[in-house]
Amino acid sequence: MIDSVLVANRGEIALRVIWACRELGISPVAVYSEADRDSLHVKFADEDICIGPGAAADSYLNIASVIAAAEALKVDAIHPGYGFLSENAHFAEVCESCGFKFIGPSADHIRRMGDKVEAKQLMRKAGLPMLPGSDGPVDGVDVAHEVAEQIGYPVLLKAAAGGGGRGMRIVLRPEDLPVAFQTASREAEAAFGSGEMYMEKYLARPRHVEVQLLGDTHGNLVHLGERECSVQRKYQKIVEETPSAALGREQRDGILADAIRGAAAIDYVSAGTMEFLVDGDGNHYFMEMNTRIQVEHPITEAVTLVDLVKEQIRVAAGLPIQYAQDEIEFRGHSIECRINAEDPWALTPCPGQITAFNVPKGPGVRVDTAAHEDYYVSPFYDSMIAKVIVHGRDRAEALARMRRCLELMIVEGIKTNIPLLQRVLDHPGFVAGDYDTHLVDEILPGAGPQI
Amino acid sequence: MDIERIREFVDLMIELDLAELQIEQHGVSLRIRRPEPHVIATAAPLSPGAVVSAPAAEPVDAVDGVATDHGGAHLIRSPMVGTLYLAPEAGAEPFVQVGDRIKEGQTLCIVEAMKLMNEITSDVAGELVSVLHENAQPVEYGQDLFAVLPD
Repeated sequence: MIDSVLVANRGEIALRVIWACRELGISPVAVYSEADRDSLHVKFADEDICIGPGAAADSYLNIASVIAAAEALKVDAIHPGYGFLSENAHFAEVCESCGFKFIGPSADHIRRMGDKVEAKQLMRKAGLPMLPGSDGPVDGVDVAHEVAEQIGYPVLLKAAAGGGGRGMRIVLRPEDLPVAFQTASREAEAAFGSGEMYMEKYLARPRHVEVQLLGDTHGNLVHLGERECSVQRKYQKIVEETPSAALGREQRDGILADAIRGAAAIDYVSAGTMEFLVDGDGNHYFMEMNTRIQVEHPITEAVTLVDLVKEQIRVAAGLPIQYAQDEIEFRGHSIECRINAEDPWALTPCPGQITAFNVPKGPGVRVDTAAHEDYYVSPFYDSMIAKVIVHGRDRAEALARMRRCLELMIVEGIKTNIPLLQRVLDHPGFVAGDYDTHLVDEILPGAGPQI
Repeated sequence: MDIERIREFVDLMIELDLAELQIEQHGVSLRIRRPEPHVIATAAPLSPGAVVSAPAAEPVDAVDGVATDHGGAHLIRSPMVGTLYLAPEAGAEPFVQVGDRIKEGQTLCIVEAMKLMNEITSDVAGELVSVLHENAQPVEYGQDLFAVLPD
């Protein structure tokens, strides 16, 4: 029985969890850093507790403080949101051992799928298609050379513990390999605590397609369709849409079936996302799995009418998923744009005070945000300040709707990436649904995957 | 508890020069704080029609402006989240009481988190003028715990 949930996060996702709690009749409890004292998520929770100074390491990432807050306020469960501690297996373990239900998969799921090398091995065993690559870690430059010769250049070096593009290097020629290997490994060590590397074939112009999954403790597992997330600036998604124009009917069925197969192989519970790369011929290859709710989950909610966060909480309470696979319908088209407080061309973060703020409204529009007029965008946290999600009967309507919304999303006092987003929405490749992860680079050279 | 009742309490606070008033009545909890603190008073439960009175020890000191005026005192704040314990164990004497002389580094209380007891020590020497939080209650990061008038 879950009567209260501590939201171990901030900003728009903390509000998102609070909304789900309210609809379920559950009492939401907020934690906040001193920098977030006046935040909306604090205002809208039933109780709140300050857990540290602004720096995330001392507050939202501080496991002892979060658990102490949970104990002090005697909550039943903890929702980690995304980022922060959401994919920290140790945190999930500590929650459970301290008597709090962790709203997400098990610590074991997080650990195994969080290790990119182990995840690949697990999914290969489950029969998912994989990119040619090292079948495990690459221990050193010599092994790297061998594997690269086998796979064929160009190759991609990736950190086993990594994400977000860090600890990653594209290698075009054998002579570039040693330096790339060493710098990537060092970067990974610094960012993730492990310099372990693996290698895979580099696809020149892939599309990034992911599948939303939901599992419960009664053995049920469903997919909620795919999302295309190829519009990325420096490996960070800025526009997502569903359904994906990259896939024909058969290919879509294939990727969904593989996602289910992979999640079933590990008895996955709660919400999760299986990420694939799709090549020019529509073939998909397993990349990694994210064992948490994702930023872009609203576009899936729009086309399926399933509230993913409520389902996560219900699953954590031991209830079965409310929908069988054949009860989940997909209607219309949805697009999300992430609004970041940054210079749209230099991509430098732009903290500061918002002096005017208007969110777009009207049919088929959803805006998830914790920002408002007079809101101070703090330098302590990531730069995303809002998500604009549209839903339309078809892609044309969704596009027109998003263009209208970006014009009406007025944010003054700071810079935002809205001008970049508008260029994306006008790009002929995007309009035709024919684009890949190099799209942003065509608009903003240097912001795409770096060769 | 209606607005008229609340207004009456506020008038009473002004008349008695109270800084803070906390009342629990019929399952409703109310705390009123005035901007220029002089005295902290707590009364619960309150029977209908009764008059709020401050604990006898406080008012005289407050009027003299010695101890409980936060303006002159150094505030000791909690460096962590947890549950506050004012005594080393249940039933024991509290670590410190109002009026005690405090040494720098002296243990003032315990904040417990995840089954670990953390001693909170004073960073100044002086006289303890106020205990600002309740025993066995949750404390948050930065919460005011004690006011000490430094030497």
